Amino acid sequence: MSPADPGRAVRPWGWYVLYAAVMVALGYGVYAAAQRVDYNWHWERIPQYVVSFDGEEVVAPFDGFVKLADDGRSLEVESLRTAERVRIDALDRVLSGDGDLVFEGDAIAMRSGIAAGPLVWGLWLTLKLSALSLLFALAIGVVAGLGRVAHNPAARALSATYVELIRGTPLLVQIFIFYFFVGTVMNLSAFTAGVAALSVFTGAYVAEIVRAGIEAVPRGQMEAARSLGLSYPQAMRHVVLPQAFKKSLPSLAGQFINLIKDSSLVSVMALTDLTKAGREVVSSTFSPFEVWFTVAAMYLLLTGALSIWVRRLERRLAHD
Amino acid sequence: MTEVLIEARGVCKTYGNGVAALDEVSLTVARGEVVCIVGPSGSGKSTLLRTLNAMEPISAGEIRVLGEAVHDRRTNLNRLRTRVGMVFQAFNLFPHRTVLQNLMLAPRIVGGVAEAQAREQALRLLDKVGLGDKHDQYPGQLSGGQQQRVAIARSLCMNPKIMLFDEPTSALDPEMVKEVLDVMIELAEEGGMTMLCVTHEMGFARKVANRVIFMDRGEIVEQNRPDEFFANPQNERTKLFLSQILH
Repeated sequence: MSPADPGRAVRPWGWYVLYAAVMVALGYGVYAAAQRVDYNWHWERIPQYVVSFDGEEVVAPFDGFVKLADDGRSLEVESLRTAERVRIDALDRVLSGDGDLVFEGDAIAMRSGIAAGPLVWGLWLTLKLSALSLLFALAIGVVAGLGRVAHNPAARALSATYVELIRGTPLLVQIFIFYFFVGTVMNLSAFTAGVAALSVFTGAYVAEIVRAGIEAVPRGQMEAARSLGLSYPQAMRHVVLPQAFKKSLPSLAGQFINLIKDSSLVSVMALTDLTKAGREVVSSTFSPFEVWFTVAAMYLLLTGALSIWVRRLERRLAHD
Repeated sequence: MTEVLIEARGVCKTYGNGVAALDEVSLTVARGEVVCIVGPSGSGKSTLLRTLNAMEPISAGEIRVLGEAVHDRRTNLNRLRTRVGMVFQAFNLFPHRTVLQNLMLAPRIVGGVAEAQAREQALRLLDKVGLGDKHDQYPGQLSGGQQQRVAIARSLCMNPKIMLFDEPTSALDPEMVKEVLDVMIELAEEGGMTMLCVTHEMGFARKVANRVIFMDRGEIVEQNRPDEFFANPQNERTKLFLSQILH
């Protein structure tokens, strides 16, 4: 009950009705705005880019000649250079003719069924990219965060320099540096360069969160652990870091949600993540509104799932 | 001649801003002795206690504890600390671990004791401080007095030869002071533990201590048997201090 007007009955559902009304009004506003620019909505074009019912392509495993079987549901590929032969069965539609010369990766037949569309493939790449970067960022961040609170001046200065360098430059610029400079020098794939850029970027923010978490644990905890004979690393690992981790979980969750969203910037490299997939679908459907709304919803799916998981983790750790 | 466990000679501790927390302090404690350190706040009594297990580094002087040179950089301080228990004013229990896990942590990690054995010893020590039934609880679920008793049991887990108490009852509600002091008295009288205790509990000092040390402005001003110390203080500063706290 609101303490401001103690005597009044409260009808909380009233506020939910207001909330719903505002949301509906906003939705109508978007719709009306689209009407004004004579936009033709074609939502029906979108699902095929999420889930494809065309079936999946069967591609040639190597360069060679196609030999069709009589049943029309299987074929053989004879290698151009070696004596290798491969038989492919259970096809639903054959795309190549008898004796055709095909090259590795060419579509030679189709199998029917449900396959992931380009947007789902993009989502999958974004998920892989984010999950790997999250693990590396956590590792980098814990090490750099420990460096920030270390007694050793070299460790402190190194960590501080890393954090300042990364936080002082835009992520997009870092991605270009990782892709064009580090990637070229170390011969990294676009995916590896992307993971590296995102991990190093997020690691700097995680380091600051870890540092704040460690500093929020009372000094007496470290003292008590040391007085029992634990070494500094043992005290950190068993006493201070577990408590620091719990304290910084909400900030870490926020940082990792940022990571998922920041991963959209790697679409400037030759990586077909969710954002890049969205751009490609727009260019083949000419339906930018629908596509970008769909892409946004798919990002929300990832970030929302992460939020829920972290909230559960917090509840499980809450016992003191 | 009894065995000397703690010997401090000419210990100085100066902070960066030039303030001297300890000024040429010398102290000898024999096996089985119970020594209470009293004095006004800021007199350096906690600092002195904390230099004995190197929780506080010193600027000059020598400290030998259980035959180890605490002031020497080459001494393995972690090993020494397992033999010197410490109890803090703020308990400093590990809040993310149960009572039992608090007691088992150091034996498991530092002592390399097997799980079952560490558990058995922890339960025995908890029984000794009267908290055997609380082993599954988290520190946050216990009262201040119970937490401090758990902390005492935790510091006993590595079988220390010396116990250091840094104002163990100062953070407690008045009705919980006795339960903690009772555990300490039992430790001194039945366990024969060598104890150093910074305290404001004059009743405890009078009853249990073999010796009372009065500190002021980083110096040991006076030390004596408790009956002599309280009945017949020699130094003016001691007299002033006692007149202020005893009513």
